Amino acid sequence: MAALATGGATPSDGATSFQRKVPASSRLAAIAGTRPSVRHGQLLLSSGLPSLDCVLGGGLAVGTLLLIEEDKYGIYSNLLFKYFLAEGIVCGHNLFVASAKEDPADILKELPAPLFDDVHKNQVDEKETAIKSKQESQESMKIAWRYQNLPKMEVSPAASARFGHYYDVSKTVSPELLKSIKWHRFFLPEEMSLHPEIKTCNMTCGYTRLLQSIQRIIYQEGFDGSYPQKKQKNILRIGIQSLGSVLWGDDICCTDNPEDIFSLTKFLYVLRGLLRMSLSACIITVPAHLIQNKAIMERVTNLSDTVVGLESFIGSERETNPLYKDYQGLIHVHQIPRLNSLICDVSGTKDLAFRLKRKQFTIENKKIINIATLINN
Amino acid sequence: PPPPPPYFIEQAARGSPTSQHGAAQGRASRSVCGTVAVRCEVIGRRRRRGAGEEGVGCWASWWLGQRGGLVLIEDTIECEGRSLLKTFVAASAHRGESVHVFGFEIPEEEFRAGFDPDVTVRLLYQDGFTDPLRWTGEAGGFCGEEFTALGVSGQLARGPAGPATVVLDSLSWLLLRQPLPAVCQALGRIPMAAASAGLRVTRILALLHGDLHPPGLVETLRSLARAVVGVGPAPEGVGSGGDTPRLASMLQRKETGKVLEKEEYFTILAGFTPKALGEPTGSVPRDEDTDPHSMADPAANLTFNLRLSDTERRARDGVPLPFHFSAQKKSSLLEASASAGKIYYEPDAADDLDEEDPDDDLDV
Repeated sequence: MAALATGGATPSDGATSFQRKVPASSRLAAIAGTRPSVRHGQLLLSSGLPSLDCVLGGGLAVGTLLLIEEDKYGIYSNLLFKYFLAEGIVCGHNLFVASAKEDPADILKELPAPLFDDVHKNQVDEKETAIKSKQESQESMKIAWRYQNLPKMEVSPAASARFGHYYDVSKTVSPELLKSIKWHRFFLPEEMSLHPEIKTCNMTCGYTRLLQSIQRIIYQEGFDGSYPQKKQKNILRIGIQSLGSVLWGDDICCTDNPEDIFSLTKFLYVLRGLLRMSLSACIITVPAHLIQNKAIMERVTNLSDTVVGLESFIGSERETNPLYKDYQGLIHVHQIPRLNSLICDVSGTKDLAFRLKRKQFTIENKKIINIATLINN
Repeated sequence: PPPPPPYFIEQAARGSPTSQHGAAQGRASRSVCGTVAVRCEVIGRRRRRGAGEEGVGCWASWWLGQRGGLVLIEDTIECEGRSLLKTFVAASAHRGESVHVFGFEIPEEEFRAGFDPDVTVRLLYQDGFTDPLRWTGEAGGFCGEEFTALGVSGQLARGPAGPATVVLDSLSWLLLRQPLPAVCQALGRIPMAAASAGLRVTRILALLHGDLHPPGLVETLRSLARAVVGVGPAPEGVGSGGDTPRLASMLQRKETGKVLEKEEYFTILAGFTPKALGEPTGSVPRDEDTDPHSMADPAANLTFNLRLSDTERRARDGVPLPFHFSAQKKSSLLEASASAGKIYYEPDAADDLDEEDPDDDLDV
């Protein structure tokens, strides 16, 4: 379906022979890495994790904000952040990386490398419970042998017209791939040292600078349509790490009565305005477990479009619980945006857990198989 | 960064049981690693099961792994943590680093008391205790307001070049006078500012009095720190007579994303060397009543049999599935597209092929 939707980029090795018949004049110049949504007509981006895309209803809409509530040690939220940026690299989008803790260049160096093998075949193998012996090798498949002569799906990043890629967490992205895209940086200590005259930093100091920087990039690079005829349209993927933590100058994480309780919410309001009027999407990670005043998180959730909370099992009693032994944590989807509609069209399952293997980060419904207690009860 | 000197790891792996403190030729540093050779309990995602990681003493692996991170020592009124801070200072000094101490709570003489001479040589004390508000107008000393990245790196630049450790005694004093965001930003920028001045800050040690601050502040600092050691009183009966045993709960966050948590009893000997007294037993309560195996195996307590024996398993594998074709048929199906339809007939066991034409029996 993705191949149909992207306007029929036909690989010559014949993975699919379907071609979409559209008259050339009315065909929109498709932006790489996006596809239109059948539900609400918006352009969708992949968040970097195909299973998260399914949970969010197909993907992340262009012009919206994805907010991730960090887990206790920030490990998995950082991983989702990196997946988002890595997806931008593979699709050729522009990146804007903002952080107050790590240098953005270091963040980009540690992005996971994309996988170009056919991962679907591995998933088919796991589901084959009828045949115990794993003889599904490359050469001869036992059951699906009619498909064994079909070529592999992905050959090179240039030919990948797929929506949503898989990444190998143990390897980092190659520097050539990094050099092929254009990216912008915002590192708060660097900005503060460049303009030290604003020394007594009021709360919105770091946020104000960040907003100014984003606005400048959007205007200069033409993401808001300032240069309509000149350039090929592209998407700007903005990533902001650990917003609301003390390193941004905000004290909502340390006291119940912060000095400026509304600075984070003001920032989100202005940021969403910037996103809506440009071809961009943003991912923000917020250390929600540290924010003392719970009303702030309510407001922040209201002011964002998609909100996903992560809860990892590290250090908690669930880690040794045999029910959760396959998983590393839980995912809570707090909010899905309602774009061009009255209700959001997403599945009602709320019991989602994630597991991280070397090459795959999957989100699935919690499989709690406990037949014994059911029968005994 | 230079690789760690191999003798540290080797000594720790050998696990020299007694402490040899007081010797001046750097043997004390080996005892720091050697006495605390216990296995680390790893909680969290493990990438590789390297044998070296569990054998190395916990303290040693910390030191050799820290790069410009914040190490927080958290104490309470029940159990003081300054002596543990001084053991870290002694270890740093024995390793050849210069130690810059910013002291605000106790006078300099009291801080320097008890150290070996080779440690005190490397100790550079910035006095913030005598005149914190600069009322006497004398030069020297260190003021609380000067605690910014530039101010600190200016003080560091006066010392010798090479690796340096910054010690804050205590961070609570600063947090009671300055807002937390400013202090955290300054702490984060000290390594960078020092690097631009030509120094290398290996770590920042800070003493924090946990009960002086609201819990949100302490949690925030814990999330920023690379390693946190909480010091508390140990129960009776731990260790031998003359020691004052204490309990340390350590949390370390590595660059790879792993999180290590550990609890250990320790005591501090003369010359500020730590001595481990073992781990607390039963720290993770395991419920023996609920049998985890039966919960994980759903086919256990049923009235019908869901399990397969080996012969049954083999028989099940041998059953041919309806779409199982012979190899010849598969390959011809795969290749043929243009030719006319062929009929493939594979007789099964019940078939008997009789080549005779049955019409021959008709007598017509």
